[in-house]
Amino acid sequence: MSDASPVTPQKPRLLERLPGLIGALSASPFALLMLFGFVAPLLCVVWFGFMPPKTFSLLQAPTLENYQTIFNQTYFKSALWSLGLASVTVVILLVICFPLAFAMAKIFRGAASFITYAIATSLFVSENIRLFGWVIGFMKNGVVGGTLSKVLGLQIDSLLYNIPVIILGMVYVYLPFMLFPLVLGVKMVPDQVREAAFDLGASRWQVFKKIDLPLAMPGVMIGSLLVFVLSVGAISEAKILGGQKVVTIASDIESEFTYAQNWPLGSALSTMFIALTTVVVFFALSRFDLEKLLGKKPSE
Amino acid sequence: MNTTHNYNRRDFMKIAGTAAAGLAFTSLPSTSFAASKRDKELNILCWEGYNSDNVLNPFRGMHKGLSLKAESGTDDPSMINKLRAGEIKVWDLINLNQCWAREQMWKEKLIKPLDRKRFEPYIEKMMPMFYNKTMGINPFALSPDGKELIGMMQRFGPMNFVVNTKKISVKTAEDQGLPMFLDPKMKGKYGLLAWDNWNVMHMCITAGFSPYKMHTPEEVELFKKTAQTLFANAKMIGGDPAQLNQALINGEIDAIYSGGTYTCSVARKEGFSEVYHVSPLRGPLEGGKGSLQWFEVTSVVNNPDVSPLAEDFLEYVQRPDICHTVAMAEASHNPVTQMSQPEVFAKFKKDELNCFQWDTLEADMTRSVDYQVVPDNDLLTSIYNEAKRTREG
Repeated sequence: MSDASPVTPQKPRLLERLPGLIGALSASPFALLMLFGFVAPLLCVVWFGFMPPKTFSLLQAPTLENYQTIFNQTYFKSALWSLGLASVTVVILLVICFPLAFAMAKIFRGAASFITYAIATSLFVSENIRLFGWVIGFMKNGVVGGTLSKVLGLQIDSLLYNIPVIILGMVYVYLPFMLFPLVLGVKMVPDQVREAAFDLGASRWQVFKKIDLPLAMPGVMIGSLLVFVLSVGAISEAKILGGQKVVTIASDIESEFTYAQNWPLGSALSTMFIALTTVVVFFALSRFDLEKLLGKKPSE
Repeated sequence: MNTTHNYNRRDFMKIAGTAAAGLAFTSLPSTSFAASKRDKELNILCWEGYNSDNVLNPFRGMHKGLSLKAESGTDDPSMINKLRAGEIKVWDLINLNQCWAREQMWKEKLIKPLDRKRFEPYIEKMMPMFYNKTMGINPFALSPDGKELIGMMQRFGPMNFVVNTKKISVKTAEDQGLPMFLDPKMKGKYGLLAWDNWNVMHMCITAGFSPYKMHTPEEVELFKKTAQTLFANAKMIGGDPAQLNQALINGEIDAIYSGGTYTCSVARKEGFSEVYHVSPLRGPLEGGKGSLQWFEVTSVVNNPDVSPLAEDFLEYVQRPDICHTVAMAEASHNPVTQMSQPEVFAKFKKDELNCFQWDTLEADMTRSVDYQVVPDNDLLTSIYNEAKRTREG
């Protein structure tokens, strides 16, 4: 090979030989941030779960005692409540938000922006304050009860401290996290495809089942995952609206870190629940391949 | 004064471990890692009230450029554990209920003695329960050998349960005491204030034995049954006294298990005098008593580089105007030990005295036993949490 090729600069050749190096260097600040800001604390929590109960140091001989405690007590009840409430919240929000998202994406036009701003603005107010708003509405002689007794002479008891009101609180708090991804998902459905289906004699139900839902599936998936992961760790709704009618796993973890002063057990509970949630999420993702849905890779 | 820190690897690991363990609300002041001029800094770990700007701002005004940080805790053991977990280098003052200073912090060298000569003149002017010629200084403010002064006493009050006097008469409640809540007629008519360390003690009293001893298997079983019944029959459980007081006022519940003048005071100050704390007449405690009382002891933390302003702050809160401010802090209103001094007492208006039930306070305190450490608290707390989780309401 001749070495008389002065037109070839050095840099591109380096790029050709080591294309990954520049990418890796560019990604390194973010990778380091994730490593120290996300992975390391998580590993600390996992490791703390193996420390002896009621201790405060990471530098001890590991033990499985905390996990034995978890399996010997009734923490599974709290875990089931958290998973159950989160699942019900996802289902209710799908039913409520899909028609609204469809209207915002395809029908409302101008009003859609107003609804978006109105919902987004509510997020500026603390979740606890918004939930206390519901308490004032639903408590005995509150906005609802007081109005009914004044206007209709109907005396009703408090509507708080039960499971339906906990679900209502969760549906209310997590609605934006389902609605906005769904709006984007529904926007991905081309109008021409729907029209073509109607022209070919498809009923409304068939269009929904065969066109709308499959094509909007990325939005459905992202919304559902967001709501599920957020609501599975919810704590305020059951405490403020539900009067701790049920104890969620997040509440248990909080108790272990505060009153019980058992950080290792709290960490073990956190680790177990993170693992459980991860399994559920991965199971959902394996059923619906997001990349395939988004058209990033060809289907077999 | 030595103003440099030598942090070794072990110290670093301790702090890193603490910070990473999920205590998101624990923000270590930056100065804990760096050499600092501690005469311009004071960090106070306290029950709500002392962290109010009404109390802190005059002290800030007295010391230009002072960084004064006060953090309110949620329960005594949690606050002590912050010191155990390495934050002894962060805090200068710690304000806890009476038993913790003498029984745990002093023994573990987490606090240091006060200058007795400096503070005795203030203590000698306190109410008889805290100082009298026969007893001397209340033993909870002294080391176990009685030689060292380990903290200053200020706020106090009884803590048992709360009723709406429009629904339940004070006389009946005082007579029946905490077992009143086991009556099937009370099902769905009371709220449970989830201050768990207090509830464990009150559930022992409800079950018919003192919390301040090692319990037999039979007593533990009885405690379990009592906890299950109380959780099952409660209409609501809440961690916020304001929410429970609101439910009491609007008639959703008739009583709160448990509560004290401390939890009632804000509602009573707003004019809801039907929110009333009850001290039972009798019970299974020492001397046949059935009521508990708390008072706070504020101690200087055994910080290797403690702020020289720590004792100054303890002296500052003895001023009559500041005594009144501490008593009437916005979070909760409480009587203070200095109210035996005419110049302090004169600062309280009638409605302020009424908000912490001053008229009956002396009688309530006479019926009460001091809050102490529960020897088998870990076991009872675990049973208590299990009962809460498996609540069948």
